This record gives sequence, structure tokens and C-alpha cells, in this order.
Amino acid sequence: MNALKPSKAAIKNITHETGDVRTYEFYVGDALSADPAPGQFNMIGCPGVGEAPVSFSGLLKDGSIRHTIKAVGMVTDFIGRMETGDEVFLRGPYGRGWPLEQARGMDLLLGAGGVGLAPLRPVIEKIVRERDAFGRVLLLYGARDERRLLFLKEYEAWQDFLSLHITVDELAAGAASKYSTGLITTLLDRTELNAERTVAFICGPEIMMRLFCRGLLLKGANASRLYVLLERRMRCGIAQCGHCQHGGLFVCRDGPVFSYNEVSGFADGLL
Amino acid sequence: MSGSGMTGGPVFQLSEYLISKKSFLQWTDSLMEGFTIIGPAWDGRQTVFREVGSSAELTLNYVTTMLAPGKLHIYRPKEKLFRFSLSGRQEIGELPAFNGKQIIVGVHPCDTNAILYLDRTFLGEFKDPFYEARRNNTIIISLNCTDVAPDCFCRSMGTGPFLNADSGFDMLLTDFGDDFLVEVKTERVNRLFNVSGARRAGNEEFALKAAKEKSALLKFTKTIDIAGLDSLLRDNPEHPVWGQTSDERCLSCSNCVMVCPTCFCYDVVDEISMDMKTAVRHRQLDACQDRKFAEVHGGNFRARRAARLRQFVTHKLDHTRQYGVFGTVGCGRCITWCPTGIDLTEIAKEIQRTKR
Repeated sequence: MNALKPSKAAIKNITHETGDVRTYEFYVGDALSADPAPGQFNMIGCPGVGEAPVSFSGLLKDGSIRHTIKAVGMVTDFIGRMETGDEVFLRGPYGRGWPLEQARGMDLLLGAGGVGLAPLRPVIEKIVRERDAFGRVLLLYGARDERRLLFLKEYEAWQDFLSLHITVDELAAGAASKYSTGLITTLLDRTELNAERTVAFICGPEIMMRLFCRGLLLKGANASRLYVLLERRMRCGIAQCGHCQHGGLFVCRDGPVFSYNEVSGFADGLL
Repeated sequence: MSGSGMTGGPVFQLSEYLISKKSFLQWTDSLMEGFTIIGPAWDGRQTVFREVGSSAELTLNYVTTMLAPGKLHIYRPKEKLFRFSLSGRQEIGELPAFNGKQIIVGVHPCDTNAILYLDRTFLGEFKDPFYEARRNNTIIISLNCTDVAPDCFCRSMGTGPFLNADSGFDMLLTDFGDDFLVEVKTERVNRLFNVSGARRAGNEEFALKAAKEKSALLKFTKTIDIAGLDSLLRDNPEHPVWGQTSDERCLSCSNCVMVCPTCFCYDVVDEISMDMKTAVRHRQLDACQDRKFAEVHGGNFRARRAARLRQFVTHKLDHTRQYGVFGTVGCGRCITWCPTGIDLTEIAKEIQRTKR
């Protein structure tokens, strides 16, 4: 059995999120090696083009999974031109996801920057299913501008289960906005937290996660309860190809979710 | 070959013999019917590990080679993984793994330890079936080193000059002049070892072996003090030696990675046929010295050359958390083949000398 062997999955549905981001529903049947946990990822590829690691943006449902993909490279551009019914080859799930067990009974703070909201979406689905398992749940979401916000149609439903705060870095000149303006760290500064009983799941650009974590530490949060999802180049997903190595860890296997403690201060990282 | 004494199986010293080199080479020739024999052989310019047609081609007195046998004949530099059909409905087909039988003879202790290191990558939680097939179907005959090259520092790493590993190889030779001391380690090679003229070795021979090891240990000129090294490098990521060495000397040529017997990184590359009807997916060696190696959309975690040099060196002399051992076996190839003479032991010494 070759762990690198992918299986075919057909696109069942495509949702256009923003200019270059689309959410795909793939029918995988029983092709995955396990039920994917929030925070895990698949290697998705096309023959002759290659493979790329992509987080799940939804829980497995009726044999289908979701990935929200921004077209930024050879593989993702190629998938960006596909249509419903087209097939990709994928394999997974890989890696260590968000530690939901640790968040049970605690307040949960979700911090997302840009497309970093996608790997947190399955966490939100879990919260919706099991709202009573968690204390206060907050989602702080920052995007560069309003046109780049993901999952717009779902916010209303989410707000029955969590408290959602959105900020955009900048507004088009003269435009009015229903969202606050400024970096997500400004939003964090204004947010009241019971820091000592908060578990935070954070996903976004590494510099954003760095500043977000430091902001939380200043508020008194425990570094071992802050979790970040790291993005690295990956070729295998199974701790062999070596591309994702970070301080001797394999991000694909040991992560991609790490506690801030595990990865802060590493050379070649921003945390 | 049965399943006993395979990769990672326990080593048991089955038997020890003293035989003439001539008899040993004759035995090697007798194995050519059932096995591909690979060993150190002269290619006109240097000694390389390649298939030989006769034991006469073997140059078992070699000191070192540019490329290690394990990264040529067990972990192949390029391996075909899958074939895709692209016309009509796309399909994926698996490609057969190695199904021959081979013997690699004359593997030095550093290179034997390097194979044990690669086992950790490719026979761990996820097994690479191509590596596994070659590993299981390769008999490894190791050879203790009585000569030492100027860049060798296995003595400091505990990986040589005499082999001390407790599993993962089949036979160990020690050069006794006209004879070899032969230590049979696994059942599968014990069954093959029917040699007339071999006599049992005893205390006298092992006393001589110990003396030869002692003598080899005295020949080392390059050393490194590994005590506390990994945490020291981890605590000095911005030491000036990284920037100075990379700015003044590193060419990012990746020679160090290519000749390293433990560097395992690979890229996955699809090649489409000229008629566009099929594609083959390969895995092939990749190098952290390549600028794109740690690049992602919107950034590059090791855009600076100093960061890439540090990645290579710390993977060898730090990062013991990865597999519980150092990533270097002290073969010294990265030093020998660096066009500007960058020496990881010197980098470590500089940090030890001026640590903060």
C-alpha cells in the first residue's frame, strides 16, 4: 500500500467566495483513510500538474468534504479553472488538528486572518453541533478588505452560536462599512476576555498569528492554550519529503496545528 | 530470502570466521547467480558504488566515495511512483517496486549508519514501499575502516571507524591484510555463507580487531565535540557565523545535500508524455539549499541564504528531537565536495568558541 497514492474525487458543487477563492464540495465516498478532524488537511492534486496541501473547510457529510482554495499556485490555479463534475486526485487526511478536547468546558477564541478562516470553519461546525460543550465562543476575523471576506452567507447562522467580530484592514476611499477598520490585533485589544480560561485557535498569515498570540499573552492567556496552524510547503504529507521541516518537527505530521509553546522562537518562523 | 533478519531485525552474532580475501571474493562471485552484486569499483576517475560483473572489479581498499551506497541503491535518487492515463477518464496505476535481490558489499560504518538513519524516514509510521522493497531485498556487507580520510569525523559521532550498530546489516568485514575477519550477523547471510577454507575466529582475532580499531582511531584529524551541541545551535540561530559563512562562501549549489548519505528530502514531480496521453509521477532528491524549497504563497521561510545554510547544518548537528539521533554520520562528504570548503565542524566550533 503506497501512502502517496491518491484517489479520485469529483467536484459536486462550487461556491464562489471572493475573486480568487472558491469552496469546493468533493465527493470522496470512502476514499479517505479516516474521518477528517478539524485542522487536518488533504493533499489535492491533478495528474501532470502536481499536488498541494489544503486544509478541510468542512466536516465530512454524506461522503463529501469541503476545501476552500485560493488560486495562488500551479495546482490551485488549475483547480480554480475546474467545474462541477470534474475530478481531482486527493489523499489524506493528514496531520494533527485543532485540540477540541482541550477546549471543552473552556472559553474558545477563534482568531482568523484572510483565508485562515477556512481551516476554522469545521471547528465552527463542531461548535454548532455541540454548543453546550464550550463556554463563551468568540470569533475575531480580519480581512484585507470587505471583498475578501469568506463564507458571508453563513455569518447570520453562526451568530446564534458565537459572537462574531469582523475587521477589515482598509476601506475603499470614501466608502462606508458595516465592519470596523484596522488590524485584527486592534480588534483583539478591544475585546474583553476571561484570558485565564480561554483556549485560542488561530489561523492566518504567520505575522498575524505572532502579533495575535502576543496580544493574548499580554492579556494574561496561557501560552500552552494558544494554538496556531502553520503553513509550509509540502510534497508528501507523511513526514518524508522534508519540505515542511521546522526546527526538527515535521509540520505535516507533528502539526499543522501546534501550541504556541511548541513553535515560538524557532529560527525560520515568525512566531 | 526469508523474512528473518530483515531490516530492523535483531542482530545476532551468528558466527565469526577468518578467511583469505581470495576466498571471500570467490564467494562473492558465486553469489552472482542469485544476486546483483554492488560494490566499490573504479570508474576511471574515482571509486563509485555500482553493479559489478566480477569480484575482480571490487576496490575494497577504497577510502571514501562521492555518493553513498544507501542513497544510490536503496533510496534511489529518482523513483517512479505512479502512472496516470490522461486521455478520456483519468486513471492512476501503481508501478512495481523492486523485486530483484542485491548485495551491497564494502559498506563503511558511516554509510551503514546512514542507511539505518534513512530507515527512520522511510520505514517509520508511513512506509515507502519502494524503499522498503529495496531495503528488504538488499544484503548489506559492511566493512570496517582501517584508513581515514581528512574530512572523516565519524569517531566524534560514534558511527565509526568500526561498526557498532546493533541491527540492520548482515555481515561485517575487517581487513586483516591477506584475510578478512568475517562476522556473520543474520540468518539470511549465514545460509549463503558456505566457504571452504574459512576457519573459526576466536579471541586472538578479536584482540587483533580491537588493536586495529585502536590504531584507526588514532588517524583522525577532524573532530567535533557533540556534548550539548544541539541545544547550543538552537540557542544561537543569529550567530554571525551563519551570515558570514553564507555571504562569503556559500553558493547554494546543494552539493552538500546531494552527497549527504542521510539527506532524505525529495520533491514530487509529474512528467507528461510527449503525446499528452500519460503522466508519470516521480519522487526525486530535493535540497533545502534551493531557494524555492521552503517557499509558500506570499513568502519564503528560508529566503536568506544564511537560513538555508543553517537549515542544513542544524539538521546534521541539532534537531536530534527528530529521530533521537544526530543527522550526521560524520562521513565528511559535505566538506569534501563543498566548492568553497565550508566545514560544518568549523561552524560548530566557532559557535562553541563564541557562544552567548
